[in-house]
Amino acid sequence: MIETIAVARVLREAVTTPYLNLVTRPTGVAVRGRIESVLATSEWETAMLDFSDVVLLDLSCADEVVAKLVRMAQERLGRVVAIRGLDEHLWESIHAVLEHQQLAVAVLADGSITLLGSVPCDVQHLFNTLEPATPLAAAALSQRLGWSDGRTAAALDAALGLGVCRRATGGFVRLPLA
Amino acid sequence: MSRIVDVPAQFDEQGLDQLATAIGAWPPSDRLFFDARGVQWAAPYALIGLLTAAQAITEAGGEKPLLAVPAADEVRSYWGRIAFFQHAGGLFEFHGKLPKARGTQPADSLLEITPVRATEDVHQVVGRIQEGASRILAGELGLEAKATMGFAMALSEACQNIVEHAGTGGWVAVQAYNYRRRLGRRVAVIAVSDSGIGFRRSLEPTQAKRYGDRWRDGTALEAALIQGVSRFRDPGRGQGLAGIKRYLQRWQGKISVRSGTARIAIVPAWDDDVPLVEELSFFPGAQLQVTIPAQEAGTT
Repeated sequence: MIETIAVARVLREAVTTPYLNLVTRPTGVAVRGRIESVLATSEWETAMLDFSDVVLLDLSCADEVVAKLVRMAQERLGRVVAIRGLDEHLWESIHAVLEHQQLAVAVLADGSITLLGSVPCDVQHLFNTLEPATPLAAAALSQRLGWSDGRTAAALDAALGLGVCRRATGGFVRLPLA
Repeated sequence: MSRIVDVPAQFDEQGLDQLATAIGAWPPSDRLFFDARGVQWAAPYALIGLLTAAQAITEAGGEKPLLAVPAADEVRSYWGRIAFFQHAGGLFEFHGKLPKARGTQPADSLLEITPVRATEDVHQVVGRIQEGASRILAGELGLEAKATMGFAMALSEACQNIVEHAGTGGWVAVQAYNYRRRLGRRVAVIAVSDSGIGFRRSLEPTQAKRYGDRWRDGTALEAALIQGVSRFRDPGRGQGLAGIKRYLQRWQGKISVRSGTARIAIVPAWDDDVPLVEELSFFPGAQLQVTIPAQEAGTT
């Protein structure tokens, strides 16, 4: 199941400030702690962080909230963290901290999905080719992409490691976000 | 017995270096009398540096320094409006006439001198800056809207360095002004200063061994600003200054950081500063200045 977390609401609960700015490392720690508490009581497969109404996100909070949750999900195989509602001007903070730590996250915006962070070109191509509901076998992916089986296997390994696709009966799907 | 320390007439980044030289050995053994009567122009960076000097003297157990306030009405008035006297009251014994009331904040000031001691202060500073930053960065400096986000992010990370690393409180001020001397354009400047332990002592436990005999203020600044080294082992640490650098590269901005006896800078094409200066006169804590210039037509 997808567990959606309204980050702005969590921020309001965690910090007494009139501003919806997700800034400072202690604030990030407090917000992440509350999110982890929610997830601890949920049968989640995907944690959808909804950043609607968050005005600013600094690097410290991008690390404490997004990077650390992405890493936590990665360590629990089969679980992923994704983002929606994030102002495009704030993508760079997340991209920078994830890239630095060889992590990645999917961002939903305007009906499409963008991967931020450390995403090799082959993983990006693979992700764009995969479908959310219909599994594609590795051989079919190689054919669609015009790649060797070895190249496809390497890209699948990397994509699985980043948590942007998963195994399904009959092949692989991109992470389900809807 | 007090010793007179002249505050330079042009009290900017170089002026603060001159002040450090005039103070001499640290901590000063005499009571210091800062003579600012001849000051004609002061940058927020230097004013918070002056507060830092007084704070550090007090924290080192020295006698409260004296301060002769600027003679020029408009300079004195500006110091008042940017809240210098408000915060200096507990740190200096004033000589001379103070402005009657603080009056209105200068029109170009985005954030008057503000103390930063805790995380809550950083929230306040970032929250208060946003509306004005948009007006000045997009409206006057010709930067894209997204530059405002980066500016607030840079401010947040700079202030957090005080809370996380200094071990004491500090000051921040943000202002836009015409930078005629070097650039001939308007700039927005973030100035941050603290009287804390400085970069060398902050990084010493984890980095000094790696550098051996070469470990000093300059190498500590290089490790922090150029290599993104942090005293924490967490892989997500050390990203704050790196993020500020990325932001400045996009907008042809400049960052300079002074700590102890060294100053390091990422120098854009419009400036002729040197990247690293060592063997400066000691000044306590750390001072950081970020300068964003107005964009020339066609550069954004």
